[in-house]
Amino acid sequence: MQNGKMKPENLSRRSATSRKLTTGCEILDGCIRGGISCDSLTEIVAESGCGKTQLCLQLSLCAQLPISHGGLNGSSLYLHSEFPFPFRRLHQLSHSFHQSNPSIYANHNDNPCDHVFVQNVHSVDHLFDIMPRIDGFVGNSKNRLPLKLIVLDSVAALFRSEFDNTPSDLKKRSSLFFKISGKLKQLANKFDLAVVITNQVTDFVESSDGLSGLRIGNLRYLYSSGRRVVPALGLAWANCVNSRFFISRSDDIIGKDRSAKDESGSSSVSRRAQRRLDIVFSPYLPGNSCEFMITREGICAVQA
Amino acid sequence: MEAWRLPLSSSIRGKLISAGYTSLSLISSVSSSDLARDVNITEEEAFEILRMANQSSGSSSCNGSRSLINGAKNAWDMLHEEESLPRITTSCSDLDSILGGGISCRDVTEIGGVPGIGKTQIGIQLSVNVQIPRECGGLGGKAIYIDTEGSFMVERALQIAEACVEDMEEYTGYMHKHFQANQVQMKPKDILDNIFYFRVCSYTEQIALVNHLDKFISENKDVKVVIVDSITFHFRQDFDDLVQRTRVLSEMALKFMKLAKKFSLAVVLLNQVTTKYTEGSFQLALALGDSWSHSCTNRVILYWNGDERYAYIDKSPSLPSASASYTVTSRGLRNSSSSSKRVKMM
Repeated sequence: MQNGKMKPENLSRRSATSRKLTTGCEILDGCIRGGISCDSLTEIVAESGCGKTQLCLQLSLCAQLPISHGGLNGSSLYLHSEFPFPFRRLHQLSHSFHQSNPSIYANHNDNPCDHVFVQNVHSVDHLFDIMPRIDGFVGNSKNRLPLKLIVLDSVAALFRSEFDNTPSDLKKRSSLFFKISGKLKQLANKFDLAVVITNQVTDFVESSDGLSGLRIGNLRYLYSSGRRVVPALGLAWANCVNSRFFISRSDDIIGKDRSAKDESGSSSVSRRAQRRLDIVFSPYLPGNSCEFMITREGICAVQA
Repeated sequence: MEAWRLPLSSSIRGKLISAGYTSLSLISSVSSSDLARDVNITEEEAFEILRMANQSSGSSSCNGSRSLINGAKNAWDMLHEEESLPRITTSCSDLDSILGGGISCRDVTEIGGVPGIGKTQIGIQLSVNVQIPRECGGLGGKAIYIDTEGSFMVERALQIAEACVEDMEEYTGYMHKHFQANQVQMKPKDILDNIFYFRVCSYTEQIALVNHLDKFISENKDVKVVIVDSITFHFRQDFDDLVQRTRVLSEMALKFMKLAKKFSLAVVLLNQVTTKYTEGSFQLALALGDSWSHSCTNRVILYWNGDERYAYIDKSPSLPSASASYTVTSRGLRNSSSSSKRVKMM
């Protein structure tokens, strides 16, 4: 019985690069060679307050840009497991998004938020309950832009308190990682979606078996706020994503506010929210990093 | 029995007879490599002829025939075969040397390591390198790439293919070889066309595809490598019945071994690592459990040593345990020493 999966795909018929979703920032895009890939799971790991949610909100808006502008001409589904969802910030970003893309939002009443669908997820079981609905939601897009981006912010929060540290519980937990990843990858492949998942970090604690310091990816050590950290959910979860980006902050970095000068004419130095993105692993990106800032308008990179 | 009765193409038959191999007993009395040399055909063709000759003469007397039991080979022949088995280069000569020249055909090789160590990179490199034409020391074959994780990126495969084409051009220029009129220089797009890419999104799809491979490869006999990236992913979800999982995995492993032997191709299974809880502590191990570990002929483990990537031969019937370092560059897998920039062809 001949079925679609038994025929190989013609690779040369695919475009030379997979479709990418712009981050909304040219330099960040350059660091990750165009943007977030479709048909792939990209994980963003960072400690709280580093900007993962900011980046995700920005991506949710960028998804609706036309393909010529680096978007996916689609709507976004934002699954959030952390509370509360930053609606105000989304509106703020949406406003500046609207203003910086006048050609697309010709109508004053167009609201970019109309294309961002927010759904809370309070447990792993809840996530599995939602999945079939997402399948229907993606496939059935009569009155709106087709869904092109799914954000899960964050995966770590789903597993926060439900599992103990016993080997059997950890095993159960790992199977769930693979199940979640499997389903999301299936959706990503079926509908050519970009999927972005955020994850937290935990402090690095040396363990007797030496496995806590197991190197995964391009960076031997991950530092944020001056402390050594490791991505949450361990080795098992690391096997479940296609790409991992690490965002860190360093309190030592002081961004120079070049425009502000005091009476004496010398430029003042102020603390800005300066962050750094590192590519930890990726099937096609070489190790790279860049620095960016979070401003009221969103994320913009620092010129090297 | 006369040699001209064998079901062979007329050109090969002509070569056989003009070389003096007019009867089956004459054919059966030499080894496949001697036959190949005398008649000016490939080893595989010679082996095929010998097999047919032995089959045909099985019912008649064993005059000059080496095998008492049909299909049995003596150890000399086997050693000779093994030594002359084609191997696929990894583009990293250090890695090739610990592998005995490259990934061996007719074997199932498992390659495992942590995320980001380069498993997919090796997979893509092999699916490109299998296509290196014979004039450049390669196999001139095609690849099957079974992607279970979605890590295969066309742009990366294209990058590696372009580098391979450039290296081949450099090689043929260096060796003053010129492509004959009827041979066309390989282009990166051709390389992509020769990778039969399958994406599977569930374990049932994976099993169905593996079961289908025999038929597919029978219809595409120039496939010389089957890569599964990764063999593990869909099997790490919740399996209600672990016994069933083990059974399914062993059946799959057996199928791969049969495919490797039947079609003389290399099967490369990429695997993940996990922490195994044994004797009260956690240890690193390849995924899929103990019963799986018996299923592959060769096992290579990729790991970090400081800032360098290393490969270690963990299991092999013939290779000594050894490790070699490698790097992943924009052109693909390469030696980690910066002095060696060119791909070394066998």
